[in-house]
Amino acid sequence: MALVFSKRMVPGIPGSGMADAPAVVENQLMAKVLLIEDDSETAEEITAELADRGFEVEWSANGIEGLDKARSSRPDAMIVDRLLPGMDGLTVIEALRKEQVRTPVLVLSALGAVDDRVRGLRMGGDDYLTKPFAVVELVARIEALLRRPVESRETLLRVGPLELDLIERTAKRGDRVIELLPREFRLLEYMMQRSDQLLTRAMLLEEVWNYKFVPATNLVDVHMGRLRHKVDGPGEAPMIHNVRGAGFILRSVS
Amino acid sequence: MVPATYADVDVKQGHPGGEIPMRQPQFIRSNTFHWALMVAGVFAVFVIVLFGFIYWQIDDYLTARSDRVITLEVEGIAGLSPERRLEAMDERLKQDPRGVQLAAIFAADGHRITGNIESLPPDLRIDGPAQAANIVKTNGSGRQHQVVRTIARRMRNGDVLVLGRNVDEAREISHVVGEALALGLLPAFLLCLLAGAWLSVRAQKRVEEVNQRVQRIIAGDLRERLPHRNIDEPFSKLAGIVNGMLDEMETLIHALAGVGNDIAHDLRTPLTRARITLERGRTNATTLEQLQAVADKAIAGIDQSLTIITALLRLAEIENSRRSASFADVPLHDMLREVCDIYEPIAENKNITLQVGVTSRVTVRGDRDLLIEAVANLVDNAIKFTPEGGRVDIELLRGGGGETIVQVTDTGSGINEQEREAVLRRFYRSDKIRNTPGVGLGLNLVAAIVKLHGFRLAIHPGPGCRVEIICPDREGTKQQILPATRQTVS
Repeated sequence: MALVFSKRMVPGIPGSGMADAPAVVENQLMAKVLLIEDDSETAEEITAELADRGFEVEWSANGIEGLDKARSSRPDAMIVDRLLPGMDGLTVIEALRKEQVRTPVLVLSALGAVDDRVRGLRMGGDDYLTKPFAVVELVARIEALLRRPVESRETLLRVGPLELDLIERTAKRGDRVIELLPREFRLLEYMMQRSDQLLTRAMLLEEVWNYKFVPATNLVDVHMGRLRHKVDGPGEAPMIHNVRGAGFILRSVS
Repeated sequence: MVPATYADVDVKQGHPGGEIPMRQPQFIRSNTFHWALMVAGVFAVFVIVLFGFIYWQIDDYLTARSDRVITLEVEGIAGLSPERRLEAMDERLKQDPRGVQLAAIFAADGHRITGNIESLPPDLRIDGPAQAANIVKTNGSGRQHQVVRTIARRMRNGDVLVLGRNVDEAREISHVVGEALALGLLPAFLLCLLAGAWLSVRAQKRVEEVNQRVQRIIAGDLRERLPHRNIDEPFSKLAGIVNGMLDEMETLIHALAGVGNDIAHDLRTPLTRARITLERGRTNATTLEQLQAVADKAIAGIDQSLTIITALLRLAEIENSRRSASFADVPLHDMLREVCDIYEPIAENKNITLQVGVTSRVTVRGDRDLLIEAVANLVDNAIKFTPEGGRVDIELLRGGGGETIVQVTDTGSGINEQEREAVLRRFYRSDKIRNTPGVGLGLNLVAAIVKLHGFRLAIHPGPGCRVEIICPDREGTKQQILPATRQTVS
């Protein structure tokens, strides 16, 4: 998928932009997100989009105020721009991490350099997004951060009728055994750990294939097409949904 | 003053007030002139010292000679009988046209018996060696104080014989030396200054000339060059070097302008499409679905423009980065298998055989993510340009000259000889492939990554394209030769 500035849905038009699946799952957690971003227009867009998705958003336009808010209001997740007046975004994160605050942080930056990204993550950011980005991408990543799979010893993943045995390396849908290639297994495992979450192409490339760039050919779609072909057999209700222009969701219920 | 010379710039920085008080001619302030002045000064001091030394030597020599002469004479005259002695003395004084000879005999009580010395000099040691003494010379015309070399001997009858010789000759010689010095040194010194001034003026002129040309270049005339004479002279050589640099820069600037045009064109095409779509959609769409379709199409157009911008920025980022300290050992064999694994389904969809052949395990030093990107780009291209039913091979080979080669071969239409250079140009897309999606920056990216690692990229023409990334061995690279394994797909 390509980079997009803003692909947010027009509020009031249900299902716009999403032809074959309802919009991203409603955020039932009423999670509180702190946004530290100095550009008011970008901040407004992000705030509106997150509010539409049921998030409670607090906005602060500079680093020092942002750090204070992060300390006082204890958000569930934070979105932090790198270049901020007052205090650099990475310094804010570093300060919080020193205080043992483990709130997941998504770093935003206009700097795309690979080294820069590494630095952002090393300083305590949990994910990194380069501007310009699709708002859908941002929301998907925030949701992923909020619902990060708990480190579990579970060796059997279950989503609806789907079962994945991590020891035996086998997959079943109901009674039907699904034959998977190693790479397909890896992809399904990742999706099952994050069921009912929108997974963007960029996220899949980074996490499943460890690709740090966007290849010319739509690799993700081809791989997903094959996996879907195997998971959703003929006559079965589809579980893997394509959210147009955004990514994919593995739904537990159809 | 019309275009400021470099010298002026320097001086004005020192005088922020503006005009320099008491403007000297420019050549006097020039460095060259200062050097000439210094050399002339050193030369003059050297010559003066040399002449001084010569004078001192001559003086020394003449004195020694006079001393020898008068010593011999005093012994000779002292040995004669008193009568013969007086004769010999008269003789001696007569045969002295220059008046340098002095002789006298004093009685034991000190009064003069004969000769042209008024009195016995008080500081003269009798029977000692020749020495300098202050005497008063008397003759018919009067008395005269002189410093001369003298020697005195007491004779058997108690009289004292004094002989002397005036060494003013030495002073005359010094006079001549001084004149020679003035005659020789002054013109030489002036010549030095003139040469310095001339060189300085000449250098200034050339700097001024260069300055004017440079001003024209700054003003935008990129074809202007520095004055260059075909003489083996440092300034001309320098001008030649700068001209070479200007040639290169002119070429680059033209190339850049070309790239700029290409970028504008490639960005404008999808944006124009998006604009038309939006415009038509706004007038014609009547339902929500139609409006959404229009928005989707417009977004796709904008996405494509953004993809181009991202690719360009990334290209610039890689081209401008230095060999990173984050380089690590990258096992190429594993990496190629990984790329193959990712592209298998795509190849399969096109009914293309994708095969990876690894004959040895090779580790290179580099950035794994970038190297994957490079190889993935090559494989992506190969699959894109290979017709259905064809094949793409990814191979890891050992070259003869201690190199490792990553080779991607396809059975597509290939790149012909004329296009070989062109494919590395930004946005170059062969007419044959105008309809294939892509932004035409893939190979640039590969080339930039390869260059960053100090590897080489080779493109072989002919039916079926063969592209190679050649990685020269580092010292201490361990190559483990594996039995050839083939992993075939499809």
